[in-house]
Amino acid sequence: MKLMLFAPELFMLLGSLLIFFFSLANDDGKKSRSVAIATSIGAIILCFICLNKSGLLFFKAYQIDLFSQLFKLTIAIGTAAVILFSRDLKGIQEKIRPEYYLFLILSSLGLMMLVSSVELISLFIALELSSFCLYLLVPMRDDQQGLRTQMESAIKYIFYGVIATGIMLFGMSYLFGLTGTTYLNELIPKLHTLGSEPAAIAGIAMVLCGFFFKLAVFPFHFWVPDVYQGASNETTAFIASVPKLGAVAMLIRITTLAAPQSEALVTMFVVLAVCSMFYGNLSALVQKDIKRMLGFSGIAHAGFILLGLLTMKDTGYATSIYYIFGYLVMNLACFLVICSVSSKGENVTINDLSGLHKRAPLLALTMAIGMFALAGIPPFVGFMGKFMLLTGALQDGQLTLVILAALNTAIAIYYYLSVVKVTYCNSPDGHEDITVPLMTKTVSIGLILAIILMGVMPSKILAIATTAVQGIL
Amino acid sequence: MNPSLFSPEGLAEVIFLILIGTTILGASIATLSKRLIRSVIGLAICFLGVGGLYYFLNSPFVAMMQLLIYVGAVCITMTFAIMLAEPDDEKASRKYKSVSTWAAAPLGGLIAYGLSRLAIQGQWLAPAEKINSGSVKDLGMSLLNEYSMVFELISIVLLVSIIGSLALARVGRRKQ
Repeated sequence: MKLMLFAPELFMLLGSLLIFFFSLANDDGKKSRSVAIATSIGAIILCFICLNKSGLLFFKAYQIDLFSQLFKLTIAIGTAAVILFSRDLKGIQEKIRPEYYLFLILSSLGLMMLVSSVELISLFIALELSSFCLYLLVPMRDDQQGLRTQMESAIKYIFYGVIATGIMLFGMSYLFGLTGTTYLNELIPKLHTLGSEPAAIAGIAMVLCGFFFKLAVFPFHFWVPDVYQGASNETTAFIASVPKLGAVAMLIRITTLAAPQSEALVTMFVVLAVCSMFYGNLSALVQKDIKRMLGFSGIAHAGFILLGLLTMKDTGYATSIYYIFGYLVMNLACFLVICSVSSKGENVTINDLSGLHKRAPLLALTMAIGMFALAGIPPFVGFMGKFMLLTGALQDGQLTLVILAALNTAIAIYYYLSVVKVTYCNSPDGHEDITVPLMTKTVSIGLILAIILMGVMPSKILAIATTAVQGIL
Repeated sequence: MNPSLFSPEGLAEVIFLILIGTTILGASIATLSKRLIRSVIGLAICFLGVGGLYYFLNSPFVAMMQLLIYVGAVCITMTFAIMLAEPDDEKASRKYKSVSTWAAAPLGGLIAYGLSRLAIQGQWLAPAEKINSGSVKDLGMSLLNEYSMVFELISIVLLVSIIGSLALARVGRRKQ
């Protein structure tokens, strides 16, 4: 049945319509929250049911295949986790909480539609839907200090976003000018026959830039620290994890447009990966605000994901997919702790975590496992991901790059583990105990299990990811 | 090779060059001017040129919409906003002294050079003689057929931006 192909998206739309009605009434956010939870969990179930569906919709502009459905499932899971653990939306003003949930749901709807779009214009509009919602989530923070920092970060976010979008559109015009089509399945053979035509490479590179911005790869990373710091904790948790799934999906789709083993693109990926890793890790070393630190660490992780893309093979793409799924759960685990520790929605410094193992043992454990995983310590998912990315790049003959990446892993361990040290070795001195609601406990146990299980048994997910990637090549 | 200036092709080329010139001139005024109101006027001139380019590309309807919406509505709204906000012109004047400005100029020039070389040397497709008549009917047909999903999605994007601006404006007003 054709309806089932579009079921998750339709369900999300329905949910957002309901929240829209609540936003018209005087709702303080409780009802909208229940609807948002129901919508995101329903979307997870529907995505799971529709996982193996395939087909084309909307005049071949919208493709449903294992690749897109896999990403939709994880986007739904990420959204549900963020909504579940951001219990009271402490950082958002009461009056606009319904709108906040509305934008959150619509943003993930945009991402879901993005990963299924196989036509440049649809792809662009779906991306814009998700970005517009994110731009609006940032300034919705409650201005507690009266410094209006959230406005500053929102402006920065919009400006960088607009520039990245402009570059992407310009690149799309090149691709259209060379081939006369906007459909990806027609673009692939035409661009492959063009081979190493400079205009084609430049066009693809410029389209990639739009998604580099979303993933926060090196030259497009300037927004990261300020937006992470200025946005409320819940918003940052979402921006730091879920849109990156869509970005990786689209980076893979766009990279497949290039002729295999295109030297110029591989060089570009290598340079960007090295710059992102060094910039992210070295800047993260000196951060005191934990959200800023995670922001810089996100830049470094984006560099690692490029290691999988630059092999331009199905196994490399599959490892990138595995890594970004792992990054989603590791990052969400850390942000769950940040959101719970922050009592009134204020930013959390690393020192605020002192003695967390006495104040809230489960949160401390979640933070420790999240940090170990991000640092790449076995048996967690971060280790397996990094290990496979490095071996993949090594088999591709990128010895120097692998050495530099391994060096970066070593640098990163320092700042991740110092957070663990603060949570476990320092005394609570003065910080109050934290009561963790049952819902948050459930989510955090779920995330811990996901981090461990994905790390211990990577083969199953890798196999699914490889099949998914082979479907779009 | 070069058609005479007074043949239809030659005249078309002259008009094309005038339109391109208008666009570039408007864009330069918009970016280089030190007073905000002049920038808006520059933007209007730039939009005028772009509208002409749309007409040149055989889509009179889009050209008309460009004039109506961008020149007619967007620029006027911006002018109103500037008149209401009374920005301090002294403060708005920019300084071109920082190191990054000096670094940006050659870099920007290099990118412009690279892109124009690409544009000249690329193996572009021959431009289609005429895809359709560019009428409102054709536009409506393609919006509701090939681009039906995009059409619906754009409506959601617009809805999001309206709700978002209203919500933000309400919060800002309550604070003061």
